[in-house]
Amino acid sequence: MTDSTTHSTIDFLLTFADDEHLMGQQHTEWIGITPFLEEDLAFSSIGQDELGHAVMLYELVLELQGIEATDTAIDELAYRRTDEEYRSSAFVEYSTEDWAQALVRHWIYDTVEEQRWNMVAESSLQPLREVSVRAGREEVYHRRHANALLDSLLTSDAARQKLLDALEVLTPLVPSLLAPAPSEQAALNDGVVGGSSAALDSLLVEAIQDRFGVEVSFATIDQPPQARLTRSEHFAPLIGRMREVLDYDPEASW
Amino acid sequence: MTRSWNTMEDFEAFLNDGGIVEVDDAMPEDYRKAVFTFIEMHANSELMGGLTERDWIPKTPGLRHKMSVLAKTQDEIGHGHLLYMVAADMGIKTRTEMLEDLFAGKSRFHNVFHYKAETWGDQVAIAFLVDAAALASQQAVFKNCSYGPYRRILKRIISEEGFHMRLGEDRMMRIANGTDLQRELFQGALDRWFWPSLQLFGPDSKPGDLLLRWHIKSERNEVLRDRWVQKFVPLLQSYGFSVPCPDLTQDEDGRWDVGPIDWEPLKATLAQGGPDSKRRIEQAARNWERTQWVRTAMDELAVPA
Repeated sequence: MTDSTTHSTIDFLLTFADDEHLMGQQHTEWIGITPFLEEDLAFSSIGQDELGHAVMLYELVLELQGIEATDTAIDELAYRRTDEEYRSSAFVEYSTEDWAQALVRHWIYDTVEEQRWNMVAESSLQPLREVSVRAGREEVYHRRHANALLDSLLTSDAARQKLLDALEVLTPLVPSLLAPAPSEQAALNDGVVGGSSAALDSLLVEAIQDRFGVEVSFATIDQPPQARLTRSEHFAPLIGRMREVLDYDPEASW
Repeated sequence: MTRSWNTMEDFEAFLNDGGIVEVDDAMPEDYRKAVFTFIEMHANSELMGGLTERDWIPKTPGLRHKMSVLAKTQDEIGHGHLLYMVAADMGIKTRTEMLEDLFAGKSRFHNVFHYKAETWGDQVAIAFLVDAAALASQQAVFKNCSYGPYRRILKRIISEEGFHMRLGEDRMMRIANGTDLQRELFQGALDRWFWPSLQLFGPDSKPGDLLLRWHIKSERNEVLRDRWVQKFVPLLQSYGFSVPCPDLTQDEDGRWDVGPIDWEPLKATLAQGGPDSKRRIEQAARNWERTQWVRTAMDELAVPA
């Protein structure tokens, strides 16, 4: 790989990894307070899977950087970059205490995530293909879980309204999730990814129509020109929580 | 096959012969209530333990570390889930009734979960000290437990708790070998959690303790407590931490004595008056209330109009 190819590939991988990391983080915050114990266990499992995907993607980044993927090196990448160096979407940075929002976000995120893994299934980067197979296998269960719950809840008028309200709150954040990595075009040219994130827009609009019976449009929602280069207002409190113990003693190994 | 006993003497003779009671047996009502209350408290404790830990999960220092901590808390809540099912099968309260009683402050859970985890050091101290105490109690129940469904669930719980204790020990050792700040943090946690952990075993067993008589517990509280003291006092000292017992002594045989135990803090937790009881129960009740719409929708689905 040339230096510029490595750079664009790393940027592409970080965009995916940061979403996985923060989505996993958000799921972990629900343990113990979901509507029933089975959901505590399910959200916790899914959260662990997403964090695991983030770890695998960060490992690939470190490999490309020629750094051994120790816990410390992974944590440097996961926790210690400047705000501008993160590539996460506002969609996963947003923290919520509303379980309807958590469930609808879980469904939307995993609908998109499944496609993102499909798009790298034939990647020119062989280790990414391998990660894709493993993560894709887990995603089947994530999607099945979200759909099973929605199948039940959408039959109740009161619950359906809660879920539609949640969808309305989340819709303005969705374009941030669909926003491409700054290096997406280069990653496409290099065969690292096989499809453009622009294709996800119509796919998700259609999936939402099928799932919730409502029409949404993301095209009209204002977005910063390079959405992945800026952090939303939700990022600082979230990363602050995540770094609290690490910041207590930056020299420490826990 | 439903078995029955004509008298309590017959039933106790059955238990003394190593008999195992199953859920469909016509067991004496006093036995049913005693076993149910014990399992309900165990289930509540697993759940409240998970809630105590959850406050710190988002702050876990490290990504892989967070996955381990999350898996542990998931296990605790999973234990609660299994235990509530075993308790509900006894026909005294449904799972929902047990949870609602817990969130209304009407039922009990272990004293330790009436305290707040103030720092990350507390999180590690819980995994190291409290989990070891809980494991010792559970092992003593498992050894000779006369209620079959509980005994079978305990087998699984104990194997997972052993893993949690090792995780706690590993984290404690990293801190022990770490920086001054880390050691100071853990010493503060130890000062807060040593006595509540020790009190988890409860005061000395009374002579007529029915749980011992009916082979639910197999060892007296004071025996288990002393075993924990003999293990943890030297262990903590060997890692360079000081044990917060002003009257600590060691006899010529090397046995440690922590001195008189003040049981007032334990009594306060039994009356829901522990340092963090109110906040903890209110928080759990609020979460339960907030998500009521989901359970209502599921109930509507289960009972067609």
